[in-house]
Amino acid sequence: MKQRARVMSSGVYTYKHRCEGGVDIHDVYVKRSTFRVLFSYVGAAFLIANVLHALLSKERLCINSFWSILFSAIVTKCLQYKPVKKESLLIMPTFGVQLEETFGATFYSGRVHRQFVPIGKILKPLLNEQVTPVTCYWNLVLLLHGEDKLMCVFQNLYPPAKMMVPIWKSLCTFTNSGGTGHPIAPQPNVEHIHTDQDIH
Amino acid sequence: MDGDGKRHRILMVSDFFFPNFGGVESHIYYLSQCLLKLGHKVVVMTHAYGSRSGVRYVTGGLKVYYVPWKPFLMQNTLPTLFLTFPIVRTILIREKISVVHGHQAFSTLCHEALMHARTMGYKVVFTDHSLYGFADAGSIHMNKVLQFTLADFDQAICVSHTSKENTVLRSGISPQKVFMVPNAVDTAMFTPSPERLSCDEIVIVVISRLVYRKGADLLVEVIPEVCRLFPKVRFIVGGDGPKRVRLEEMREKFSLQDRVEMLGAVPHAQVRSVLISGHIFLNSSLTEAFCIAILEAASCGLLTVSTRVGGVPEVLPDDMIVLAQPAPEDMVRAVKKAIDMLPGIDPQMKKLYSWDDVAKRTEIVYDRAMQSSKTDLLERLPRYLTCGAWAGKLFCLVMIINYLLWCLLEYLQPTEGIEEVPDIRLVYAHLESVNDMCRIQSEGN
Repeated sequence: MKQRARVMSSGVYTYKHRCEGGVDIHDVYVKRSTFRVLFSYVGAAFLIANVLHALLSKERLCINSFWSILFSAIVTKCLQYKPVKKESLLIMPTFGVQLEETFGATFYSGRVHRQFVPIGKILKPLLNEQVTPVTCYWNLVLLLHGEDKLMCVFQNLYPPAKMMVPIWKSLCTFTNSGGTGHPIAPQPNVEHIHTDQDIH
Repeated sequence: MDGDGKRHRILMVSDFFFPNFGGVESHIYYLSQCLLKLGHKVVVMTHAYGSRSGVRYVTGGLKVYYVPWKPFLMQNTLPTLFLTFPIVRTILIREKISVVHGHQAFSTLCHEALMHARTMGYKVVFTDHSLYGFADAGSIHMNKVLQFTLADFDQAICVSHTSKENTVLRSGISPQKVFMVPNAVDTAMFTPSPERLSCDEIVIVVISRLVYRKGADLLVEVIPEVCRLFPKVRFIVGGDGPKRVRLEEMREKFSLQDRVEMLGAVPHAQVRSVLISGHIFLNSSLTEAFCIAILEAASCGLLTVSTRVGGVPEVLPDDMIVLAQPAPEDMVRAVKKAIDMLPGIDPQMKKLYSWDDVAKRTEIVYDRAMQSSKTDLLERLPRYLTCGAWAGKLFCLVMIINYLLWCLLEYLQPTEGIEEVPDIRLVYAHLESVNDMCRIQSEGN
């Protein structure tokens, strides 16, 4: 049975929630600029050109060649484009959850990476604040049995917390019921939820 | 500040915080706890300590950001000027901070965070916890950095009058903008021994890091002389450091193994149990802005013998401390005077300092900082120009680049795109509700 999807958008992210055949599906899409793809290719070409230049001019190799390659590698890394356009979480009652990454806009287009986590392995879903040397953001993670590290539900995308709260609630209901409970059905009449909702 | 005109949202920034241990760390922790109790929101930002990285909540719901920048020298992060701007900006926006409070003059993270906060137009307060010289290369460099940070700040705090004088002279700021708020002691943790110790054997306790600045070399000369003059005296030395070898050599040389006990590093939770095993506390520091250690000792009912340096003479009343010049013969004389005074000492705890009082005084400084007028970049630049012929121009350039970086960050990640975090006040809210319940029950009875 297919139910009407619940949609929420904020900035470049769009969240969709639907139920298909008893499976609770949470999709997060990201809109990426086509310029980013172009810049990514430019960065890669810049690095290749620098490496080739250094290899072809062997007799003129010097310390500057090393710095040039290092600089181009940094530029390429900065311009690198993450080709993931969608990440999904599928909650399958009695089985577990499946994480999916869908690629797009490059030669990876259409490829999907899937990872299944059995219900018995999940201890708790958590909304975690992650801190990096340059920023901090909310992330939805799974605390797993026998693993010393948390597993990120969204490996490539950083959706806002208000999008992760309904997913976290669904996961909480799923894990609290031992995986046998019914997935949370979407609210039938909610087409669009405004982005100024608070997270409490 | 919130609508009620009282509640501040404070970001404490320093390279020094728990699990590292010392006076600055204790100050930030206790001050934050008391400010939380007063209803303010407090968040601490420091660098990562080993695997302790990310967001942690400690006692009282105090939120700590351990930013994953590795320390490179004496627990300080590498000075990068601009690289910490993105994370500082993100924390300021997501926590809806109103006042940024930096601690300690040699914390690079503190200086950088204050610079970024000023660029973004936040009110900044700085607390100086140490004394510095004026002549050596390190101090000259440090004083220039301090001059840069304090050229455009709202209010500063020093922990003693001596420290205030030192800071004003080093940075050239107006004394009217500097407040004196002392440190305090947790009197619930440092209580006197319930039983009074016998005076048949006099125990002198030393607890400090065994480094040059804490006068470890002075101890090497004082301890054998005191042991020679007073056969009933025994020493307990707690602490570790590079000078520990010298103390152990002294112990061997004078055959004092049975009279000088070396404990090594003493965890803070066990400091009281060491203190209450003695009669006299000996502090041999060569420089101190305040010295919390003598306060802890006095709180445990010990008579203190200390060097007359920095802000130490301001800390305790004359009947609780014997002061001496930082010279071995004067220290020995002071120990002799303290031994003579011992029978007349009342080991009752005196509530001279409390963290609640420190928090209330700091709150006044925050209020004053919030009242200061807002200034834009063009108004602030001339303040940096007065820092020196070349240094002034360099500081102006740094601030202009920082401003441009801020504009770039605003373009790349607008403020609206940074999510604000909900306020979580767990413990005190819970305690207040429990108190209310008790009050209702007692009224009902």
